[in-house]
Amino acid sequence: MREDHMKAVKEIIASVVKNNINLVAENWPEQFILATDQPAQLAKVFVMLPRKTGKLPVAINDDQQEILHTAGFGYIGNWTIDRLSRVWLLSTLNSEDKDTFYSTVDRLFPAAEINEAVALYSALPFLAHPEIWVKRCAEGIRSNIGSVLEAIMENNPYPSGNLDEAAWNQLVLKAFFTEKNISSIIGLDQRANPDLALTLIDYAKERWAAGRKVNPQLWRLVGKFINAKIFETLKVGLQHYDQIEQRAIALAISESGYQPAKDYINTFPELKLALADGSLNWNSF
Amino acid sequence: MCCSSSIQRDKAMMGAPEAFDINAVKGMKFFDPHVHMTSRTTDDYQAMADAGVVALIEPAFWLGQPRTGLDSFRDYYSSLIGWERFRSSQFGIKHYCTIGLNSREANNESLAEQVMEILPLFVYKEGVVGIGEIGFDDQTAAEEKYYRLQLELAKEAGLPVQVHTPHRDKKKGTQRSMDIALEHGLDPYSVIIDHNNEETVKEVLDRGFWAAFTIYPFTKMGNERMVEIVKQYGAERIMVNSAADWGISDPLAVPKTASLMKMRGLSDQDIELVTYRNAITAFAQSGQLNETDFNAQIDLTGKFEGNTILRGGQQPKTDKSSIIIS
Repeated sequence: MREDHMKAVKEIIASVVKNNINLVAENWPEQFILATDQPAQLAKVFVMLPRKTGKLPVAINDDQQEILHTAGFGYIGNWTIDRLSRVWLLSTLNSEDKDTFYSTVDRLFPAAEINEAVALYSALPFLAHPEIWVKRCAEGIRSNIGSVLEAIMENNPYPSGNLDEAAWNQLVLKAFFTEKNISSIIGLDQRANPDLALTLIDYAKERWAAGRKVNPQLWRLVGKFINAKIFETLKVGLQHYDQIEQRAIALAISESGYQPAKDYINTFPELKLALADGSLNWNSF
Repeated sequence: MCCSSSIQRDKAMMGAPEAFDINAVKGMKFFDPHVHMTSRTTDDYQAMADAGVVALIEPAFWLGQPRTGLDSFRDYYSSLIGWERFRSSQFGIKHYCTIGLNSREANNESLAEQVMEILPLFVYKEGVVGIGEIGFDDQTAAEEKYYRLQLELAKEAGLPVQVHTPHRDKKKGTQRSMDIALEHGLDPYSVIIDHNNEETVKEVLDRGFWAAFTIYPFTKMGNERMVEIVKQYGAERIMVNSAADWGISDPLAVPKTASLMKMRGLSDQDIELVTYRNAITAFAQSGQLNETDFNAQIDLTGKFEGNTILRGGQQPKTDKSSIIIS
């Protein structure tokens, strides 16, 4: 994320928050920002914010939406005002003293109810000292609560920018398991790696053995790493009846550098045709 | 829970359900070696007793969200050997448990250290039939550390180990769990590898471990698949459980699976092994489980039929269809 983009996004968030809450409410968080004892007050202010802001979807003008969209934060327009206000509140905290900043925000996590947790994880990309939140983010992926997982996994640039490979792979794998919107995972293709590909292939085999379908998006993380061994599994998938899976595997193979697999695809006239006319891409699944 | 969007679709795929006919397994006894009764109601206990479940094991696990302090762990372990055991006894079901630090919460290392310190206070208690459920979830370094430490504890205490295998990256996680157990010198015959599926079962059996299967809707095994597995691999060292908990799960998974096995032509002997006997053999190695302690002498399937006579300290059965609660 470019610095100037981030600054513009934060400015828009501030102005959207201002436009969406009434004057009494507005005065309240602003007093907090000026307060000298922020750490002592944060828990209360953070928790009680929805009482002041309400929970309506945010109203946002086209210009603002355009800028957010360009910076990759267009989804913020779908948030409710309490969520946005909480994220904004956290993004404005004084972070000069890193330890104080960390302990002030960190202690909100273990006591968070669901909406608070959603806001906390949504705020990760906007928090100062990104490196100190890695553990919290990895912990969040262990949650079993759908909306919390969505806040971390979908449209959130923090994980791909900060998590180590093991935690990242866990996020992607869990997103498949919990049926999140895979194409909303930011950095999905950039952070593809061989370990993840092998794990996903095991997962696909397990699904097949159980007579279940495989999410076609899985194969986009496999394409780059196709070798002789992986190719054997792909052949099994290609021989399945499921046309969507077949097409996804074909598309993954077309993105690989493994010639025997490419030659094999050419023996399926329908798949060859679909690849040739260029209509097949990852957004088509 | 986390995957609600799939439930309706999966239901649609599975078609109209066939009714569970208890008569198919009437008179049979069942042992559910993995069920989290703390999360279940008295209705569940009653239904389990009615269906022939005479004993169960409640493994220590997490509560759906991470605990933040040591006292929560202490109270939880204490409830497994206290209140929950009593609650179960009211329905004539013998309650055992396994005690351990689960893999998910092993990732909170500062708390995990403290939990390890109190585990010896619990693992030697009467009726604690193993260390469990422990193993891998995300397969992190912290999970491995506490898995290894608890394997050592199991050796020291002479207890079987109930190993939770991960939902994600299951095959590798299962292999790694077995490798590490062997590395620590455990006899595979004292290790129950749980939550198996078609992809893991062969290696688990080949290496001499017990293979447990969790019959759990949507995310784990279905019981039709289970029938096929017993047909293919036989009944030796295989057991089924419900792992019923706070998620959408079924505390009658064991009797239902027995019933389906019966309908699909498996022998009574094989059914008895996988739904009763094998689990007892495996966990009785703890010296803390004795079949003669089960309250199984009374005929559980028949005891409330047509009358309201209560026996053996049983809870009175309420009529759920009545609007009057008296």
